[in-house]
Amino acid sequence: MVDEKRDQVTAPGPKVGVYVCHCGGNISDHVDVEKVCEDAKGIPGVVTVKNNMFMCSDPGQQLIMEDLKNGTIDRVVVASCAPSLHESTFRSAISRAGGNPYTYEHANIREQVSWVHHGEGATEKATRLVAAAVGKARELHPLEPFRVDAKRHATVIGGGVAGLRAAKDLADRGIQVVLIEKSPFLGGWTAHWDRLSPTEDDVSELIPELCRQVLDDPAVEVHTCSQVISFEGFIGNFRLGFRKEPPAEGAYAEEIERMKQSGADTGDFIPHVGVCPEPLPEASEEQTVETGVVVLATGFRPYTPRKGEYGYGEIKEVITLPDLIRIIAENRRAGGGQLLQVNGRKIRAMAMIHCVGSRQIPGIHEETEGRPLNQYCSRVCCGATLHAANLIRETHPGTRIFDFYRDIRTYGRGQEEVYEKASDNKVLFFRFEAQDPPEVSGNAGEGDFPVSVKVKDTLTFGEEIETKVDLVVLAVGMEPNDVSDLVEMMKLPVGADRFLLEVHPKLRPVELSVSGVLVAGTSQAPFDVGETCAAASAAAVKASAVLARGGFVELDPFIAEIDMGKCKGTGACVEACIVDGALRMVEMDLDGEKVLRPEVVPALCQGCGACTAVCPENAINVSGWTLKQYEKMVEMIVSEKLAA
Amino acid sequence: MSGRENEAKILILATEDCAYPGANAVGQAHMSYPENTYILRVRAPVMFPERFYLDCFEKGIYGIIIASCGVECPYEGAYEALASRIDKVYGMMKERGLDTRRLRLTGICTVCTRAFVKEVNQMNELVTELGPPGTEKKAA
Amino acid sequence: MSTETMKFDALILGGGIAGLQAALDLADQDFKVAIVEKDASIGGKMIRLSKVFPTLDCASCITTPKMAAAAHHENVKIFTYCDLESLEGTGGKLTASVRQKPRFVDEDKCIGCRQCEYNCPVMVSDPEQGGFSARKAIYIPFSNAIPQTALMDVENCTLCGKCSKVCPTEAVDYFQEPRIFTIEAKTAVMTTGFELTPLENKVQYGEGKIPNVITSLEMERLLAPHGPYNRVLRPSDGMEPDSVAFIQCAGSRDKSMGISYCSRVCCMYAIKQAMLLSGALPLADIAIYYMDIRAFGKGYEQFFQNAMAMGIAFIKGKVARIDAGEGGAVRLHYEAQGEDGGVRTADHDLVVLSLGMVPAWNPAGTCTVSTGDDAFIKTIRPKVAPTLTDMEGVFVAGAAAGPKDIVDTIVEAGAAAMEASKYLASLARTVKAAA
Ligand SMILES: Cc1cc2nc3c(=O)[nH]c(=O)nc-3n(C[C@H](O)[C@H](O)[C@H](O)COP(=O)(O)OP(=O)(O)OC[C@H]3O[C@@H](n4cnc5c(N)ncnc54)[C@H](O)[C@@H]3O)c2cc1C
Ligand SMILES: Cc1cc2nc3c(=O)[nH]c(=O)nc-3n(C[C@H](O)[C@H](O)[C@H](O)COP(=O)(O)OP(=O)(O)OC[C@H]3O[C@@H](n4cnc5c(N)ncnc54)[C@H](O)[C@@H]3O)c2cc1C
Ligand code: SF4
Repeated sequence: MVDEKRDQVTAPGPKVGVYVCHCGGNISDHVDVEKVCEDAKGIPGVVTVKNNMFMCSDPGQQLIMEDLKNGTIDRVVVASCAPSLHESTFRSAISRAGGNPYTYEHANIREQVSWVHHGEGATEKATRLVAAAVGKARELHPLEPFRVDAKRHATVIGGGVAGLRAAKDLADRGIQVVLIEKSPFLGGWTAHWDRLSPTEDDVSELIPELCRQVLDDPAVEVHTCSQVISFEGFIGNFRLGFRKEPPAEGAYAEEIERMKQSGADTGDFIPHVGVCPEPLPEASEEQTVETGVVVLATGFRPYTPRKGEYGYGEIKEVITLPDLIRIIAENRRAGGGQLLQVNGRKIRAMAMIHCVGSRQIPGIHEETEGRPLNQYCSRVCCGATLHAANLIRETHPGTRIFDFYRDIRTYGRGQEEVYEKASDNKVLFFRFEAQDPPEVSGNAGEGDFPVSVKVKDTLTFGEEIETKVDLVVLAVGMEPNDVSDLVEMMKLPVGADRFLLEVHPKLRPVELSVSGVLVAGTSQAPFDVGETCAAASAAAVKASAVLARGGFVELDPFIAEIDMGKCKGTGACVEACIVDGALRMVEMDLDGEKVLRPEVVPALCQGCGACTAVCPENAINVSGWTLKQYEKMVEMIVSEKLAA
Repeated sequence: MSGRENEAKILILATEDCAYPGANAVGQAHMSYPENTYILRVRAPVMFPERFYLDCFEKGIYGIIIASCGVECPYEGAYEALASRIDKVYGMMKERGLDTRRLRLTGICTVCTRAFVKEVNQMNELVTELGPPGTEKKAA
Repeated sequence: MSTETMKFDALILGGGIAGLQAALDLADQDFKVAIVEKDASIGGKMIRLSKVFPTLDCASCITTPKMAAAAHHENVKIFTYCDLESLEGTGGKLTASVRQKPRFVDEDKCIGCRQCEYNCPVMVSDPEQGGFSARKAIYIPFSNAIPQTALMDVENCTLCGKCSKVCPTEAVDYFQEPRIFTIEAKTAVMTTGFELTPLENKVQYGEGKIPNVITSLEMERLLAPHGPYNRVLRPSDGMEPDSVAFIQCAGSRDKSMGISYCSRVCCMYAIKQAMLLSGALPLADIAIYYMDIRAFGKGYEQFFQNAMAMGIAFIKGKVARIDAGEGGAVRLHYEAQGEDGGVRTADHDLVVLSLGMVPAWNPAGTCTVSTGDDAFIKTIRPKVAPTLTDMEGVFVAGAAAGPKDIVDTIVEAGAAAMEASKYLASLARTVKAAA
């Protein structure tokens, strides 16, 4: 171990200590560490140079801590392995010695020198990298993580299973929640179903249970018949306005009618409707909440077939899967029977057609009425269709079922069994290619089946097969609910499929690009109920982490900072900023004059530096990563003084 | 190693999320590349103004590789802004008689070791051939 | 042998992507977390993949940041190379007995410099590279492993002593004993993941003995940017294959193997590998033999359609048998479903078995968590609280609860972390109420 304190009295300005690691030969076998240290002493600003067999070891760290404690140095450069391994080690050593962890710079002389260069040039390169690090270190300033006050409060938009699950999770973590639901009911589409595929969960138990948990929790405030009308602010500090008003003429008419007929009270579950938690409002009323995070759980709507698509809207025997699910439940409540019945009509045979409004292919399917193609798979319809088929075959054994599919996608746990069971239940399968869909036609007068379905069946090597049926069920897929107002107001990203778009499907799957705004459930993509709940809980856990520290959110200090002494107010930075709202022009008082100057919104700034590049005065920089620091590094790298 | 080769310094601006760990992976694999390469860790290369690159050449840097995350850039929109800026820099380099191949924008992932070494070798060959920045004018 | 006890809020069993995500989501809420991983590195299967569907980003680029975030998190402690011997208790007090296998390298001393590895004279086939290349008898598991700590393969070590001589920190310890310790935690998340379905009991697919029939994980290594050959070559003779076939549902949806379920990721990873292959071998013919293509996730169907547009052949048919063909070729016998049907044969230079998933861990004998008929960990409220197991305070996420891709795994891990943190909060409330 060498300890050579420079006897020269330190100049004013940062006092840099350089610590070079041998890494037990890993570095010193190829880099002459002694020479690096010797040369480093000549670098301007360096007041002490030390080396150690293992800088990361306790004795190594002690070297730094002692020099900091006795005031010899106030900037640290360690030359060792890759920063990913030990940058945090040395930063924490500095903190423990009472220094600021950001007054640190790393020189990577193992992975980027001794392990890749073996000639004599390795030593010179190591020296230059140390010099560059010193050059940067002299420009470093102490930084503090940003603290932004945050309301321990969350707003959930949408009261389907996703919204209910997220609201309850957040409340259980001690966070106040406001849940805003557009319709008069809680439960979303799940409340319209019956028994869920593949687990047989009964929604008349599942939905009331979820609703009860939410409604009974004093931390959750539920507002139905409500819609968001304004939104501003940033993570931790959003202000969100909403309006509660009586449902528009004709809106939810069917559901409200069913509620009236059922005689249910507020809070009771109404089959195929949901839970109505509060009386319908009589007048319009507006409110504002201050909230820390927002969870979007606005869900989906089933695809409505175009008029004439597989005879829909033209042949009355053609219905959708949501219709069928209700019919199955009504039949069961009516006591079953050999044959399924629809409005008193006995169904001897029926056809089910998959992928209606899903997996559409440009060139094969055409865009109509300005409706873009749904190129995605809706994920739940295969399972739900076969599950419905099984329910029918088991309760109404006389009803025969023909199933027309492209691929059977029973992917999830327990779903393949539903498919097998359908085969065992003698559901008859036909497979078609996207370009040869089944043809549905009404057989007015022809035989006694009202509808026929013709298909080129690839399971029998392309044979044309015609089936005669009493009912055709279209397995319609999912489309995102229209939330263009929210998209506009909150600047939400939407994908080509029109669902809300997460930041990254693997790194940040439940976050939207607006920091503090999360997505849960089928507003993001088709999911089944279990997957929806998982997504909702995942969103809730992110929200909970943001609000975990109670009262504030801590953010990286690496954000843009403006030097008002240099700034001329050109506004170029605001224009270049890649995040909406992270930089804005504000009026301020400068030497008694009112001027427009940019202001950084720390909670929104990502610290990319797009602003730095465009400032003619170099008045804006990302703290800890300034342009000046890089210029200094380059100067040191080319410095003649260091030439070997 | 001749002194001249060492003089032909190449600057590599490597993003901390992708290319910088990629360069470390080259080290972990004990592959080798020329020594005249200096890797600077950057958050997003979009921060450098046009003149930074020109200044580097002025200061005597022979070649610059921007090793970015490419379209996987974690800062949405930054890569596009970077690419259009580099186009501008190319124009300015031409005006100054600098060979535009001295500046290269590329994407390097965390395990793209071979791609990294290839980029470095290519740039090294090029700058050895071209000589110091600014001399290509005379050569032409 | 001392049995020290360490206390944490949460224990995460398995340091794959599910475990890492769950750990981070708990630690970010200021809970103290221990990750117990049986391998020498965290990262699970994902760190071993090439690029990942549907975005085709590099697997390492997505996994390493999460691995590093967990490793550097002040609230997370990682224990690698550990087996869980037992997990007992309930009501917020779980006691885990953990046995750390000897690495024969002192973890605290090793600095990951690999001097031992360079100097070791023994070459062994490297399972981390699909067996396509070699490693030493003392080694760091793979380039982006965390921790970067060496371990010794005692089966193959010749005790020559070179490693201990060159180690700069004297970390090599030939006499290291297993270490047994206790972790006390209030809640636990099981994220033990999956293994590929073993081939041994599938005669029709050659029980893994036909040359140039490889598994999908082996193909991942061939395709990885830092893979063994730098190119896609077939193993028997190093030839660049002109025709490559993928066999779907190999070991899934197959009652003869006792695996009736769908493994859910194989369609997509085969399409992904086919796409990557057509980049690596632009002239090769690539075919996928399948029953149903299950491209169900966000962006997956579009991915599948792109693959068809790229000219990858999708052949509807069930492969019944595989034999060795002439000159290293592989012969497939399959029941064609398209066109005219019938049993047909086809020869390919290289065949990839799109193997399914079986659970990596069976809790029986270690704790009271139950498994389902499919042997994956049973969840008791799959619709409303999909990560609940039948052991109080114990949750499950990722492939441990049934086959799952990375996106679904990560989301489920977040959900399990939510359940665990709710459980911790409810314990805190009962304690407060009691006081
Ligand atoms: C035909 C069919 C059958 C199915 N069968 C099954 C099955 O058997 N098993 C299974 O697991 N899954 C099944 N599913 C899937 C299941 O319906 C969904 O997973 C689930 O409903 C998704 O819940 P969600 O909360 O995301 O959305 P939704 O149920 O759509 O709820 C969204 C809620 O948000 C509200 N909302 C919308 N916009 C706004 C706004 N701007 N402001 C405020 N509130 C708003 C809506 O009114 C609604 O209450 C099926 C789906 C379909 C289409
Ligand atoms: C060939 C192939 C290609 C794939 N490609 C893709 C793709 O492109 N995109 C995609 O989304 N998905 C892909 N997948 C799926 C992906 O691998 C899984 O979704 C993911 O790995 C699941 O993560 P996990 O953490 O649940 O399990 P794992 O990755 O299996 O991790 C489990 C961890 O737990 C540890 N463990 C096991 N048992 C114990 C025990 N008893 N004690 C302690 N630790 C234990 C294991 O060592 C491991 O580290 C692919 C799968 C395969 C097989
Ligand atoms: S789940 Fe089945 S029916 Fe629905 S879109 Fe996907 S493949 Fe078609």
